[in-house]
Amino acid sequence: MSTGQQIYQTGVTLAIAVAVPAGAVFYFRRVRVPRPPVGTFNGRDILVMMGFVLALPFVYLALPGWALPAVLALVFSGGLTVGYQPVVDRTPVRWAIILSLLAVDLAGHQLLGSDSPVYWIANSVVVGMIVVSATNLNVQGGMRLRHIAWFVLALAVYDLTFATVIPLTQKLAEAIQGYPFAPSAGLRVGGYSAVIGMGDLLAYALYSTASYKAYGRSGLRLAIVLVAVFGAILPTLAPPVIDAVTGHRPELIPAQVLFGPAAFVGYLALRRRGPERRMVELPPLPAAPVPAAA
Amino acid sequence: MLETGVRQVRVAMAMVFGRRMNPRLVERLVDDALATLHEFGSPGEDVEQLVDGPFSDPNERRDLQTRALRRTARRLRDKSAFYRERFAAAGVDPAELTLESLRKVPVTLKDDIVTRGADMMCADPYLSTQTTGTTGTPTRVWLSRYEIELWPALIALSMLLRGEVRPGDCMQINLSSRATAAVQEDVELLRLANASARLVGQVPPDESLDQLLDRTGAVPTLLSGYPSYIGQLVTAARRRGLGPDDFRLRSLFVGGEVLSPTLADAARDTFGVRQINDNYGVTELLPAGGRTCDGGHLHLDLNMGYSEVIGLDSGEPAGVGELGTLVVTPFYPYRECMPVLRYDTRDVVRVLPEELDCELAGVPAVSKILGKESRMLRTSAGIVGTREVVETLDTLPGIEWPSRFRAGVADDGRLHVVLAASGQSPSDVVKAFADRDIDATAEVVELSDDEVRRFCPLRCDLREETFTRAPAPKETP
Repeated sequence: MSTGQQIYQTGVTLAIAVAVPAGAVFYFRRVRVPRPPVGTFNGRDILVMMGFVLALPFVYLALPGWALPAVLALVFSGGLTVGYQPVVDRTPVRWAIILSLLAVDLAGHQLLGSDSPVYWIANSVVVGMIVVSATNLNVQGGMRLRHIAWFVLALAVYDLTFATVIPLTQKLAEAIQGYPFAPSAGLRVGGYSAVIGMGDLLAYALYSTASYKAYGRSGLRLAIVLVAVFGAILPTLAPPVIDAVTGHRPELIPAQVLFGPAAFVGYLALRRRGPERRMVELPPLPAAPVPAAA
Repeated sequence: MLETGVRQVRVAMAMVFGRRMNPRLVERLVDDALATLHEFGSPGEDVEQLVDGPFSDPNERRDLQTRALRRTARRLRDKSAFYRERFAAAGVDPAELTLESLRKVPVTLKDDIVTRGADMMCADPYLSTQTTGTTGTPTRVWLSRYEIELWPALIALSMLLRGEVRPGDCMQINLSSRATAAVQEDVELLRLANASARLVGQVPPDESLDQLLDRTGAVPTLLSGYPSYIGQLVTAARRRGLGPDDFRLRSLFVGGEVLSPTLADAARDTFGVRQINDNYGVTELLPAGGRTCDGGHLHLDLNMGYSEVIGLDSGEPAGVGELGTLVVTPFYPYRECMPVLRYDTRDVVRVLPEELDCELAGVPAVSKILGKESRMLRTSAGIVGTREVVETLDTLPGIEWPSRFRAGVADDGRLHVVLAASGQSPSDVVKAFADRDIDATAEVVELSDDEVRRFCPLRCDLREETFTRAPAPKETP
């Protein structure tokens, strides 16, 4: 990989890794998602989430190639309609927007190919929006920074295991390659390419939003620095550095292996500031603008 | 959150299919509600549907209640000798029961429980509770362990979600200690809701006030008592010059007697309470009951029981605007040990229109209880209930609450009231009734404390003496 390609990969990865959590925090500060009458996120929900993380790759790999995009399209549309119901209240309008987004994504892939920048921009917008909504459903549902810190630490172990001991991650990357609705965001322009997985983006967005919820702007600042350094810069720079040192370039550096421990240490540092804020302790949302009288 | 969802589904399935509920499951839902309140400060959306049930659609309501009645009736046929006889005599098949065919089964009366209680037992008894007997022979009702565990959990859940009790609250319970079911239920639901209890009983009012003022331990924020006892507390507090700044009370829970608006306002002014929960509960029907809305309607719990209003004279369902007695069938699996079918409370209510404009409009309602059927006064101008008499007398300037009276119908068909009070004149009493368009004659008598309790016994007379203020016993040589 040339220096230019390396700079491109690091720059685009950094931009996406920071932009999506920023979007999630923006949403968090502006919108409240509906919640059930009773129920708040707890430690057992993390176990359930980890169960999904463990099971989903096997489900994806077990599906026939043609079924995978269909399943992903269903998941995407479901996630978008739940997450953006408070933003676009009218169901027909919301569904029209969602279907249009998915249509652009699909059309970009089918008409221009899986390396087309149009496809990747459309797909990245869809994936980013889903991550923003999924993050807010969880954090506004009572998920705490403590939960996320343990979750990303578990993800680090998971990623390390499935990237090195059992090569599942690589198989999965190969399985979804070439299909529309890839669960990843990025941009390919000519020979330049930068792609970041939806799971990684979700971990960054959850960690940043929960840090903001728990400790305000100072929590968010630390989270964004950790995401930028350990979630984007180091994972993209690690392969050439290792190559330079050892003469062997690793195919894949799972980002969570670097981000998980750093995020956990970040949580321990933030925890020293006191207990996490609860939803009830957050300042009220800014009032919606009142339409001017005619 | 996922766990809570699964628990809610399990409880909902038990409700819909009429299976026995696991009290531990409901208790864990209470924990979930506490966690929700801790994180968010309030329950989420559609909480009314969770608490009051999906009953705004009349067809859905009818369907759910028919199924609940059938399973309740089937169980009664299988386990209760008394009801097996009743169904056979009425020619009713419990499995095919409808809201219409239910009327073929004669109502159950208090005397039936007194005389045939043993034939109504459907599960192993654990705790007996007895009615106070203010309207006749006390009725003994047996409850199972399951009921004793389930009811507080269900009530704690709904009270937490409605904001009627909050973690950290402390309830002073001024109920008669013989009301074992109500007292046990309150203590247990407070434990589940992370609140505390001051079990005071019906001690002399001044001692109760001392407890309300006590700042050691948990300070009372909720007060539970009978209206007549609350009347005594208000009177005693005013005599001592106490006001809202002296108390930390937020809500008052009353039931079992008529609470007049005048006494309610006096309690608000004196204790500084913002919310008064005037609930309807009958020992024989627990946990089915009702609660009063701001519009003054009594909304009956549709989740746990089926309610009818039977016309006073017709014996048929009363129409809108008519008076009738409240007949209630608590559902299985809420009532297990000594269940009743079509229990006629003899409490008179007025049937209200289906469409109401109040905060509980989704739940059908009747008027507040107007009085016991045996105490309805059929004057020449119409029927006058105990509620009207109490509400009128409580407005008299200088009256000492609770009002004590006897009321009847004079030979000329007019209402005749004998008020036991000092400093009141018969003409003021007559005028107070006239202001309500009730033509009445009145007498005022002055009676000693003992005489007044015999003259007009109220629940506040179920006194529990203490040594705190009693004269010291004479020393024996």
